[in-house]
Amino acid sequence: MLKGHLDAIVLAALETGPAHGYAIIETIKSRSGATFDLPEGTVYPALHRLEQAGLLASSWTTTPSGRKRRVYSLTRRGAGTLAEQRKDWGRFSRAVDALLSGGRAWPA
Amino acid sequence: MAGVIDDYLAGLARDLAFDPELARRMVGEAQSHLREAAEADPEWPSADAERRAVERFGLAREIAAQCAVDAVDRQIRRSWVALLATVAMTFVAMRLRVIWLGEVGDTVSLIAPLIDRYTFIAALGVAAVGWSVFRYSLLPLAVAVAALVASIAAGICRAGLFLGAAAPLHVLLAAAVEIALVGLLAFHVVGLGRRLRRTALLRRAV
Repeated sequence: MLKGHLDAIVLAALETGPAHGYAIIETIKSRSGATFDLPEGTVYPALHRLEQAGLLASSWTTTPSGRKRRVYSLTRRGAGTLAEQRKDWGRFSRAVDALLSGGRAWPA
Repeated sequence: MAGVIDDYLAGLARDLAFDPELARRMVGEAQSHLREAAEADPEWPSADAERRAVERFGLAREIAAQCAVDAVDRQIRRSWVALLATVAMTFVAMRLRVIWLGEVGDTVSLIAPLIDRYTFIAALGVAAVGWSVFRYSLLPLAVAVAALVASIAAGICRAGLFLGAAAPLHVLLAAAVEIALVGLLAFHVVGLGRRLRRTALLRRAV
């Protein structure tokens, strides 16, 4: 289930600013209260896919310790896609909440 | 002696060997990630710290399979665009041949122009249906390319029957461009087929 929403989760993790893969995964873990403990490597194919789709931009940087990192940032198109996905998710989660909460009227 | 991370990266590079550029990028990012994760481990430096970082990263083959699926999807989408450009060029070249041969007089062959026309229409039909319904499938792409190859071969064959009459430069140029385009496309589709098979093998191995 998480895999289907991975792209939106990655876009949301980059909303606060540019970050490299390791930091993105740490953000996902901390913001989800460690609920989303997916294999860390699976985020890289998603990053590449989002970059190919023009939703992210990336560039190599070198840390003061000399380590090379690819840093990703949200493009304007990526921010727009995130806003749309957030709206879709809101509608979807409210509907599922209403169904699972035993038939209370929706929207609550 | 190579460490746990080095062994993992070597395996990842092997699994991604079908795309050297993707392999370089993915291995570079995985290396940076794994070193950082291992250094954040309380037991760093140790083989156990590296092993834990590798375990959290996931199976190399699974990551390679996901990369391969995405890369093939992208390639197939690009191939459709190339196919549409080739169809347009083939149409232009075919019309130029018809205009030229119309002036010379088509007295030799009845079959070649029919093959030229109807295989082109078939390629156009398969391309249109394939693009709108099976955009992520290689089969309609391959069928459309095969139909285009047949159309161009018939067109060239028909034109070849008029070797005695010097073809105008624009007819020759258009024919050269359509042959080059369809040749490149056919080569690309064969390569894509090979890549799809490798991707399927990777996914099966996960």
